[in-house]
Amino acid sequence: MRVLAEYWTRVLPLAVFVMLAGTLFAGGQSPPRTKVVDLIPASLSGETNQDSEPFLAVQAANPHVMVASAFTPNPISNAGNAPVYVSEDGGNTWVLSAITPVQRMTCDITHAMSAGENHPRGDLHAGTLACAASITLDESESDDVSSSDVMKVQSSRTNVDQPFVRALPFSNIDHVYVGLNDLGQSSGHTATVDVSLDGGATYKSYSIESRKTMGQDGPSIRPAVAPDNTVYVAFFGWRKFNGSIATSDVVVVRDDGGATGPQPFQALKDPSDKLPGRLVVKQVAIPWSNAPTLGQERIGSTLSIAVDPNNSSTVYVGWADRGRKGDIYTLHVRRSTDRGVTWSKSDLPHTTISNATNIALAVANNGVAGFLYQQLSGGRWVTHVVQSRDGFATIQDTILASVPADTPVAQFLPYLGDYDYLLAVGNEFRGVFSANNTPDKANFPQGVTYQRTADFNTKTLTDGSGNPVAISIDPFYFSVPVMP
Amino acid sequence: MKRVRTMTREKEGGMNTSRFFLAGILWMSLLSPGALPQVTDNQAALVKQSSIIFAGTVSHVAATSFAGVPKSARTIVVHVDSVLKKPATVSLKSGDSVTVEVKDASAFQEGAQATFYTDGWIFGSGVAVKELGHSLGAAGEPVPAAGKNAPGQMQGQLSDQQLKDRMNESDFVVVGRVTDVHKWNVPKTKSGAPLHVTEHDPDWHEAVVTVESVLKGGQVKGNKVIVRFPQRNDVAWVNSPKFAKDQKGIFCLNRDKTSGAPTAKMGGKQVNVYTCLGHGDALPLSEEARVRSLLKK
Repeated sequence: MRVLAEYWTRVLPLAVFVMLAGTLFAGGQSPPRTKVVDLIPASLSGETNQDSEPFLAVQAANPHVMVASAFTPNPISNAGNAPVYVSEDGGNTWVLSAITPVQRMTCDITHAMSAGENHPRGDLHAGTLACAASITLDESESDDVSSSDVMKVQSSRTNVDQPFVRALPFSNIDHVYVGLNDLGQSSGHTATVDVSLDGGATYKSYSIESRKTMGQDGPSIRPAVAPDNTVYVAFFGWRKFNGSIATSDVVVVRDDGGATGPQPFQALKDPSDKLPGRLVVKQVAIPWSNAPTLGQERIGSTLSIAVDPNNSSTVYVGWADRGRKGDIYTLHVRRSTDRGVTWSKSDLPHTTISNATNIALAVANNGVAGFLYQQLSGGRWVTHVVQSRDGFATIQDTILASVPADTPVAQFLPYLGDYDYLLAVGNEFRGVFSANNTPDKANFPQGVTYQRTADFNTKTLTDGSGNPVAISIDPFYFSVPVMP
Repeated sequence: MKRVRTMTREKEGGMNTSRFFLAGILWMSLLSPGALPQVTDNQAALVKQSSIIFAGTVSHVAATSFAGVPKSARTIVVHVDSVLKKPATVSLKSGDSVTVEVKDASAFQEGAQATFYTDGWIFGSGVAVKELGHSLGAAGEPVPAAGKNAPGQMQGQLSDQQLKDRMNESDFVVVGRVTDVHKWNVPKTKSGAPLHVTEHDPDWHEAVVTVESVLKGGQVKGNKVIVRFPQRNDVAWVNSPKFAKDQKGIFCLNRDKTSGAPTAKMGGKQVNVYTCLGHGDALPLSEEARVRSLLKK
């Protein structure tokens, strides 16, 4: 009898394990695990660029297809097109393909992929800035990012800043929303959304600022879209500016019909003045420094907004300001559960983060909120993804990278980026960040995969021929399982 | 002498005619010594135009060498026998397999050996390139010195053609010395509207350049020009030349259409202001012979 009990004690756990593994295998799925991948491909192992300010788009209908971008120049020609990174296997491998309409390197790029037009191999809508004699915005599209064809420019103009692209499928067409700071807008109402209701073929610009500004709004204009066609946009309403401090409101506007009506983004009005645009916080001091200030990074306009895809009444907004005394730059996150009408009176728990930047928020299908940021701590840039299912009362904090902040020396600003990005895909939070690329496993607590040639024993990079390569800033893709 | 094969896209439609035509020209070039320099010039131009040149053996047709490259009838896989030119950042060596999108797939069969003159296309676990031209034959032929592996030129310097194009677009190309550098504040608008604040703010500065000689353009009044330049180390301006006092060089200048104020006062007179914004618009004096040579062509 005792022998039989011992037998079952040993065999039963094994049997359960085999059954569970078999179930997962038969289902063709493995449980998601945290994944961090350096995007630089093996054939560019010799590169030492400052690949900062990353962004990510995922093809909704086929999430194996993704496009990432950074300040990565064309690797072979100053006259060639600026490239993006393309993955067709869910982020395990990436290729660099020169498909943007900009020569050599963009000086701002964001993008989104939507499923409205049935282009499952990647219907990419991009907003790019080309910086040469003037700064020119191109709004462009590719129907198949794997084709390597250069994107078609659909709209173009100058005197704008920080295009930020979101897209929604709407019947058989994509609706595209590009938040941007249109410095040509009259009356200083520069916070603007370019809206296309025909897949990017035509755009119409809407100023979303309704109050007096110091002459303009802050650079970051961030749309967030929900499948029920609710569109929120957050921006910094700059009321005063003294050269180093912008006194700013954090403003959120909303449209309930995908901005298809004649006067979009008027749904939210602030009770204080009855004007469109709810003032989440008023008159906060936002330091503006176009020089190394937070480590080697500049600061001045980090902002993010995210809406629950299955309950568009719940929306989160996050930003950075001067914060508490002694802090250089402090992150805050607030939440509304009534479609932006009222907001939490103070920061959500665990979301007041000192000396941090590059906030990016996302909400998963199950309502779990994700919060990506990069914090300067102990001489290192530490990249966090925080998750919570209860408004950050309880959290799960995952550190993706902790790298030296003083190396490499900046080639230009921004050092890591004026933004990074996070989005929710099924049961994963996916995103991108930029960081020092020293191949040191201690720098990546969740593990990391390098495509480029790297020796983790000697902590050195090499080119394809074994020659040493200097440490630089690389873009990293990550996937983190959403909390159940 | 190996014969280099190139074909424009327009010619691809009339493939057979073109092939006979080209063969005839090449045959004539062999018979006529006077025609040989034509072929050599063609090859030299290809070498300059190509970012990646290698000799190799075709291992597969209608195939690709790594995931992420769109396969077509025009993509072939080539086993690399020797690398003749490439940017330093690109990892490519003998023994690697490269995907080549060729212009005419019928020109290649498995086992064929050729030197490929190419431009980079897609970079992943391997390299994919687009053919600019090729020469059939076993060994990689010597690459003219100007086109040898020159990573500095690929990444940092302009090619001859790029520099020539740049100078063609310039109002002036001058040799000069910077005698003063100072900050320039954008004047306030008449309406009193505040100035725009962006992270791409150039932080304009002005350099006063004493012109020692004019290589292109008319006479410079007073032999001095004001060159407005972005001092900011923002990504938008990182490749724009920065000026320092006593700097000497060759400068490609254009009338200022960027800063918003195309004139300034110098010596009590209102004068035109110039910019020098492009990558490679300010060259060291050591480039003077090259610049003069390109301007003559």
